[in-house]
Amino acid sequence: MSDQLLRVSGLCAGTEDKPILHDVSLSVGAGQTHVLMGPNGAGKSTLGHVIMGDPAYQVTSGTIEFDGADVTDDSADKRSLAGIFLSYQAPVEVPGVPLYSYLRTITQKRPELKMTARKFRDRVGQIADQLDMGSSFLTRELNVGFSGGEKKKIEMLQLLLLRPKLAILDETDSGLDVDALSVVSRGIEAYRQACDGALLVITHNTRILERLSVDRTHVMVQGKLVAEGPASLIDDIDAHGFEQFEHAKGGDAQ
Amino acid sequence: MATATTATPELKLERVNTPPAQTWNYLRANDITLTVPSESRKGDVYFALPRLFEGIECGMGPDVTAWIESQAADAQYVEVRAGERRIEPIIATMDTGVMVRTGAEATIVVCADAQATSRTSAALVRVIAEKGARVRVLEFVATGDDQQHLESVGITADEGARVEVRQYFLGAHTTAAGLSCALNGADARFDLTCRYLGTDDQRLDINHVVRMRGRNGRSDLRESGVLDGRARKTLRATIDLVHGSSGSEGAELENVLVLSDDVVNKTMPVILCDEDDVAGNHGATIGSVGPEQIQYLADRGLSQEEAEALYVRALFDEALICAPTAAVRAAVLARAQTVLGTEVAGDLVDALQLDTEDRA
Repeated sequence: MSDQLLRVSGLCAGTEDKPILHDVSLSVGAGQTHVLMGPNGAGKSTLGHVIMGDPAYQVTSGTIEFDGADVTDDSADKRSLAGIFLSYQAPVEVPGVPLYSYLRTITQKRPELKMTARKFRDRVGQIADQLDMGSSFLTRELNVGFSGGEKKKIEMLQLLLLRPKLAILDETDSGLDVDALSVVSRGIEAYRQACDGALLVITHNTRILERLSVDRTHVMVQGKLVAEGPASLIDDIDAHGFEQFEHAKGGDAQ
Repeated sequence: MATATTATPELKLERVNTPPAQTWNYLRANDITLTVPSESRKGDVYFALPRLFEGIECGMGPDVTAWIESQAADAQYVEVRAGERRIEPIIATMDTGVMVRTGAEATIVVCADAQATSRTSAALVRVIAEKGARVRVLEFVATGDDQQHLESVGITADEGARVEVRQYFLGAHTTAAGLSCALNGADARFDLTCRYLGTDDQRLDINHVVRMRGRNGRSDLRESGVLDGRARKTLRATIDLVHGSSGSEGAELENVLVLSDDVVNKTMPVILCDEDDVAGNHGATIGSVGPEQIQYLADRGLSQEEAEALYVRALFDEALICAPTAAVRAAVLARAQTVLGTEVAGDLVDALQLDTEDRA
């Protein structure tokens, strides 16, 4: 199908000495919201990082196509500029780099987002207001000394600033209290409204999905996609857990 | 053949900027020798600081203190009255002494810019922070590529005084800077942030000394910088836990980003200890940007080269954010324009609407 934004086909990948993903195939259409669920250690985060191009993982077979181009061998920075965004489960601290310098630099890398410094400041200010962030955060070092919730807000701020075509949210909801979760959910909703971007949400927590209209749900167990279905599959997992999929061979659950 | 000119007399300051405890001489990390102009002031009448300031240990040592005193015009003495919260920063001249009385607050700014007419510039700043005083010292070295700058700072802190120092060494042909802070009173605190950039053939020689004399003192020294080209940097950082400083804690940490194989980077962290119930820590990381950081930045669209350039830009951005006056911002901006180019350098100023009006 030509309208697929992301097409992962027969993907096998892992670290140097350990295969993690086995024959994974998954497609996400433009503007769609997909959810990836599975027990701990299933390989969900690995899939997110492999799609993003993390060199810690090696692709041994299969392909990743994004926006009509094969990006399997592209570096992460090229994939990012092409429109893929990975929100980290544990955002990395970057001492010595004020958040402003960082945000400005990554924005200026994208020709479609270039703007004057003052417009940029206004834009960041608007987004910060949306995310209930204080005004002093811009001059602080990137992710250094921020709480877990603040770090996730900074991830959302980048999501709203960069407006990627596809956002992979790797357990963005983990470790958040109710208020922070609400703010992050608002951020995701705002992203969908602002640019109709596609989402691949990796999560254990269905609360983050409450504001989203989910198109497809995927279940991963031991590095394999074992089930795929509509949004109602999430309720099924909520009620019965992942055991039902432990021995599944894949296919549509409905 | 060169035409005859009136040459300025010169003086060699031998082996200055030394730490309290030295290492093997063959490592060439103990000191620096500098050639400086030495104008005679015979017959001049000038104002000197009160003798109280003579006893303050300054980072670059007594030879540099004597030389700066001999070259400065009138010394500048500023007293901040007890309990006064001085908003207006004190702008240091070549020889400045500041007395911050009990419970007072003050900010002292030292700025060396590229407008100096002499190839050598210098600043000597001595500060006395009395009981419960709050002192901020902001140092900016943003001189030209062909200049050498000497900066020697000495601070004493009495009981409960808090001293915060931020240093931005943004490039000169030679920057030699020494800072000594004596926490003489109990519960005094010293926090230092030092950011530096060395490129091309630049030479950086930094000496930080903290004498922890009072009980329950705290000192925290954070140095970080970027070195590129054939830059040579030596950092000496000493935390001296003197007898009687029980309950005190001192920590020192340096992060250096080395971008070129031709860089010479020397770091000499030293903890001296003559007391039982104290804690002293030091550490250093030297190398390229960490793989985790590189990957995070790559995931947001930056190549490794762009990520490294971000660290240099960030250094100037931070200096601009921290600069307290339009004149200092203008000096930092001028230096940033030389290193980063006009477009990038002006970006932050525009975004934050910082006032950088040119000085007359």
